[in-house]
Amino acid sequence: MAENSPEKSGSITKKEARRIRMKTMSKAEISYLRRKEAAEKVFPIFRFVILFGLGFVILYPLIYMVSCTFRERSDMNDPTVMWIPRNFTLNVLKETLDAMGFPRTLVTTLLLNVGCALVQVVSCAVTGYGFARFKFRGQKLLFAVVIMMILVPPQVIALPLYSQFRNFGFGDFSVNLIDTPLTMYLPALMGNGIRAGLMILIFRQFFKGLPRELEDAAYIDGCGPFRTFVQVMVPNAAAAFLTVFLFSVVWYWNDYYVSATFFTDTRTISLMLRNLDTELKRRLFDTVSAEISPREQIVWKEAGCLISITPLLIMYIFLQKHFIEGIERSGIVG
Amino acid sequence: MNGRKKEKKPLRISYEKRKALYGYGFIGIWLVGTVIFFLVPLITSLVWSFCDVKIETGHTSLKWVGLANFEHSLTTDPKYTEYLKATLGETLWKAPLIVIFSLFIAVILNQKFRGRALARAIFFLPVIIATGPVYAIISGDISSTGNTGAAQFSTMFSTNMVGELLQFLGIYGISDDMGTMISAITDNIFGIVWSSGIQILLFLAALQTIPASAREAAQLEGATAWEYFWKITFPYVSPFILVNFIFTVIDSFTNPTNAVMKRILALRDDWQFGVISSMAWIYFGIILLGIGIVTVIANRLIYYETE
Repeated sequence: MAENSPEKSGSITKKEARRIRMKTMSKAEISYLRRKEAAEKVFPIFRFVILFGLGFVILYPLIYMVSCTFRERSDMNDPTVMWIPRNFTLNVLKETLDAMGFPRTLVTTLLLNVGCALVQVVSCAVTGYGFARFKFRGQKLLFAVVIMMILVPPQVIALPLYSQFRNFGFGDFSVNLIDTPLTMYLPALMGNGIRAGLMILIFRQFFKGLPRELEDAAYIDGCGPFRTFVQVMVPNAAAAFLTVFLFSVVWYWNDYYVSATFFTDTRTISLMLRNLDTELKRRLFDTVSAEISPREQIVWKEAGCLISITPLLIMYIFLQKHFIEGIERSGIVG
Repeated sequence: MNGRKKEKKPLRISYEKRKALYGYGFIGIWLVGTVIFFLVPLITSLVWSFCDVKIETGHTSLKWVGLANFEHSLTTDPKYTEYLKATLGETLWKAPLIVIFSLFIAVILNQKFRGRALARAIFFLPVIIATGPVYAIISGDISSTGNTGAAQFSTMFSTNMVGELLQFLGIYGISDDMGTMISAITDNIFGIVWSSGIQILLFLAALQTIPASAREAAQLEGATAWEYFWKITFPYVSPFILVNFIFTVIDSFTNPTNAVMKRILALRDDWQFGVISSMAWIYFGIILLGIGIVTVIANRLIYYETE
């Protein structure tokens, strides 16, 4: 045994050292090591194949979108055109932008959806903090209400909400809020917008995970709870804020159910995309009932898709690094 | 600021009570909003489901009809039960698949390898797209043009490459079950990949909660990757399997593109508010019942580290 001691292995070659080590091991150990070595070599290939294949499934529609946007519609019937357009054109993009009412639609969407998303992040953060750090009567019951907010489909309460907004107020005094941005802003401001329950839950989990010492120090220095929240907790919660903000923007941006319920005329990007078909036919062919082959329609549809996700994609590209790190570190699930 | 200073000097309220008051202060604005925008509409809709609702200018008139609306939705309505069955069935088999798939991907994305950041960025892309109308269009378009990315991808699995690979890695005896499951996944790969973005994200965050000491211990004891998964990873993420399952179910149930929701939306244009409310409540009742049952069963199987 003394021969195999590590002090001596310095003078012999690596191969020999390895052979000597193998001798001292049992059969089971050797087979374990062999298998481990083989697995370590094969697994990266396996992983690459899986990730590449699935990544392709995800990216496929996006690549297809770009490819369709810049081709003429006759290319759709050309079997030789798969990815690269034969007749490159910007007309489809221009027509679609026109039909969707850019840039006015973009401004409306930014004001309405992104504005609401911002407001909602703040209101949900405040509420989540209240649930995470303070004990008060009825807390469990109220938190059960938050869970209910997650569980109840928005479709269940959409109609009563509509009639409520139609005659908003008490007794004889009531105003019609339908078609005003208030139908989106009021719930967002009060922590009841799109998927607000989920956001409150995320914030609560996050604030629970932060150390209590942070606040205690602030309290001892004579800081009130609201100032503590703004000056001590919020800077520490940057990761959670970023994550929830991204979700919030995405959910508001993509929403068409709620906006379609409360607006008859407001044009957000999602709503315009839903109505793109009729709008295009009206503009390009002067009649809503124009017959175009469904295959050819795809170019405009895909262009519309590309236009409506581009702002989100740009935001995602800039934020994704922080966003993923934030989720890993923030302990949102713990 | 002034008010609080006055409060502090006499100290008539105990510290706990004061903190409770602050608590109400923090949730106050949400509480008011919830009563107005959530609880009242929720109760209204429940009342409506038992009533004949007529919307007139300025007010709604209600006439109590008992269970007639529910009876109408379940027996008379030509499409509702059919759609309900279809939606339920689809959720029932898709939700477990999505959860299993996203756990698998999360475990892979949690390993260290070159290009991991890029892979993660790609796999989270569905999070920003899949909730919107864009997804409805691209999933429709792809089936109408006939060349799905999924079909091309699934040929990779037709040689049972995965099964053999698993066996090679020291995972025996599950190849057959895994094979059927994998083929179910590959047949629907597009829908599954595109609806598991948030689930992957949650699992990935859950994987961070596994302490390094547990991993080291397993390595020293010579655990294979397979054993490591079942003995270490799985217990730690099991609470999140439940969370993800519930999330998946809710996500697919509340999706405005599913058949029941479309039916409800179509009837809304006919102003049949009572019937719609009853449909929505039947639907919601089923979700609640399903989630309740799953939670009760799962809570017996789940491993919680702290409690």
